[in-house]
Amino acid sequence: MNTEFHNLTVAERREEIGGDATSLTFAIPAGLETHFQWQAGQHLPLRFVVDGQEHRRCYTISNPPGAPLRITVKRVTGGVISNYVADRLAVGDTIEAQLPLGRFALKPGNMKRRTHYFFGAGSGITPLFSMINAVLLSEPHSVAHLIYGNKNAKSIIFREELGALSAAHPGRFTLRHVLSSPSVWTWSSPWRNGRVDAETIAAAITETPPVAQDVQYWICGPGEMNKSTRSALLGLDVPDNRIHLESFGGAATIDTSVEGIAATAFITLNGAAHTVSVASGQTILEAMLAAGLMPNFSCQSGVCGSCKANLKKGRVHMRAQMALDDQEVAAGGILTCQSVAETDTIAIELP
Amino acid sequence: MTRMYHNLPVEAYTSQGWFDREQRLIFSQTWRFAGLAEDVPEPGHYVSVQAGLNNIFIVMGRDHRLRAFHNICRHRGTQLIRAVGKTQKALTCPYHDWTYDLEGNLISVPDESTEYPNGVDKKCFGLKPASVDVWRGMLFVHPDPDAPSLAAWFGDVDPHLGPHKAEELVEYPEARNAYEIKANWKIVVENYIDVYHLSHLHSKTLYMYDHGKAEYGWKGPHYHFWEPPSAEYSENLEKNLPTPRVIPEPHVGAWVPMLFPGIGIGAGEDSWNLFIITPLAPDLTRIENRTKLANASQWEFQKQEWSSWGFWKGFGGAKYEGKDAMNENDPMASGDFTTEDIYACEQQQKSLTSPYFEVGPPANGESPVTRHQQAVLDFMTAQETAEN
Repeated sequence: MNTEFHNLTVAERREEIGGDATSLTFAIPAGLETHFQWQAGQHLPLRFVVDGQEHRRCYTISNPPGAPLRITVKRVTGGVISNYVADRLAVGDTIEAQLPLGRFALKPGNMKRRTHYFFGAGSGITPLFSMINAVLLSEPHSVAHLIYGNKNAKSIIFREELGALSAAHPGRFTLRHVLSSPSVWTWSSPWRNGRVDAETIAAAITETPPVAQDVQYWICGPGEMNKSTRSALLGLDVPDNRIHLESFGGAATIDTSVEGIAATAFITLNGAAHTVSVASGQTILEAMLAAGLMPNFSCQSGVCGSCKANLKKGRVHMRAQMALDDQEVAAGGILTCQSVAETDTIAIELP
Repeated sequence: MTRMYHNLPVEAYTSQGWFDREQRLIFSQTWRFAGLAEDVPEPGHYVSVQAGLNNIFIVMGRDHRLRAFHNICRHRGTQLIRAVGKTQKALTCPYHDWTYDLEGNLISVPDESTEYPNGVDKKCFGLKPASVDVWRGMLFVHPDPDAPSLAAWFGDVDPHLGPHKAEELVEYPEARNAYEIKANWKIVVENYIDVYHLSHLHSKTLYMYDHGKAEYGWKGPHYHFWEPPSAEYSENLEKNLPTPRVIPEPHVGAWVPMLFPGIGIGAGEDSWNLFIITPLAPDLTRIENRTKLANASQWEFQKQEWSSWGFWKGFGGAKYEGKDAMNENDPMASGDFTTEDIYACEQQQKSLTSPYFEVGPPANGESPVTRHQQAVLDFMTAQETAEN
């Protein structure tokens, strides 16, 4: 894995939804253009230094491949980085980024003929927006249906852009807004009021059933929404291998039922062996950083997969594991940022 | 010396050996028409269709997605699969009640503990998947679960097939029929795409279109054809159409493509018709016709019938009348273009077994005939090369 950070300059910034979100477009340094390629849905691991303190974040790239490199960051109350981006980061400033990565990716194909259903909520639109554009641009025989949940009309990120896409591609893109607390006087009525729930999902599929029969389902929203959307789809007998999802924000399903015990961790990092003590309740990543090791990591919420490692000995508990599929977990894959020790000796190998 | 029928040996139209090769190399290796999308309208509905050597089963799940499997129970191979149960979530073979889920996984073997004391490794006995897709309102199946997409297969010819949106039209059930022609399937295709014969065999039946202005060509193995209405018909076209329009003005004409292999469409201003050709034997072919018309009220149909009555009352007639007709059953006296075509195909097939048969030079308007023969040869060669 390429873990090097590169300096990117903010080329353009734009306020979204009245300043509650900010889109940043970056200039890619000369010579790195071929490296900063991404697949629709992937994210950008970033390192910020704010007031002398280092912070790492992963933000989804909100443009399709071929368009300018752009992220869209929604303001989180009390969030260090989201408020820094919204209030302080200016055009011409630089931030540090690793190359784009992520398994939540839609690879369009000229000859692919698919029906894509996208289920999103809030800022979960960012990867979906990139994917929908990629389908409309680069997968000419396929169609896309978006079911997009928000609080009210004012909080719909990319509302105009999505409206323009549906007007430009009437036979290929349908757009359904679902608003949980719509204000009656602001905007034309949404497709539905309420949430993106099982009934809403079944209604959308029944209204626009698949024509192209290679059907794919893409979900991006808060953890609870992802979970309920996935179980609603499974309830309709959608096979799990057609469902792709990514969580964002702090609301991912976190299993803190296991606190974790103090342990000795034998770590192999870049081929070198280290012995690290892990305190009770401390994650393996925290322990490694405290011991002065420099493992790769980014989002620290179990979403991005930057900190993936292999467990060779012992047992750990993962609080979240969105970035791993069941097969990887069965093969010993762990996310160090989410893992606490369950046995007093563990051995871990990092790539 | 091999006797030839243009590009193909005569035996390609008469021998069981050729028939078997075509079944294996063409009809079992291509996307096969399996019906109209509305034949499987709701979750739990299913159909099965013969596609060359394969019988393929299509079922819709509650997610409204179609699944296709080879209709072969993994127990004894019985072609009996059906969808059952209140939730239509299970596929079962009634012979011994082996049951599969909608992804084809074997989920239940009755009396497993007594009948199979060592158990059955269910994951080894799932239904074999096939491909299914919907295009222009039609269902297509392919025996290969990883078949190239319909976009790859029909993408190039698609823009030449007319502005019809078949999925928005309504089937006219009275026009649905099937019949057999005592001729090789290629004879039937060649008749369908022979531009030369239109003004002759059908001189009294299809002259509302101007065959002299026909535009036709090929995209891969697929043939496309369009011709404008005749001067007489188009003078008052909107009035003369027998039923309400199925395509918006100003589109006019007849689109009559022949998609490979043997999938004929005949679409005009006011109807959309399918002509599906299925080989049954070297000298026997099944035709299935289905027609879709505008989704319009009975009143709209009535109005159009009245307005077009003046044009159609004096239109058409028998090619041969009176003393020229052999008898009252002479197909050439039928005044029906399908009857004329069937007669021509069957009489053509008969001569192929004569030791004195020798084919004459093809006309310009018969270039599609010889091109189709080449398409058959090329496709079979490509498949054989891929096999070896």
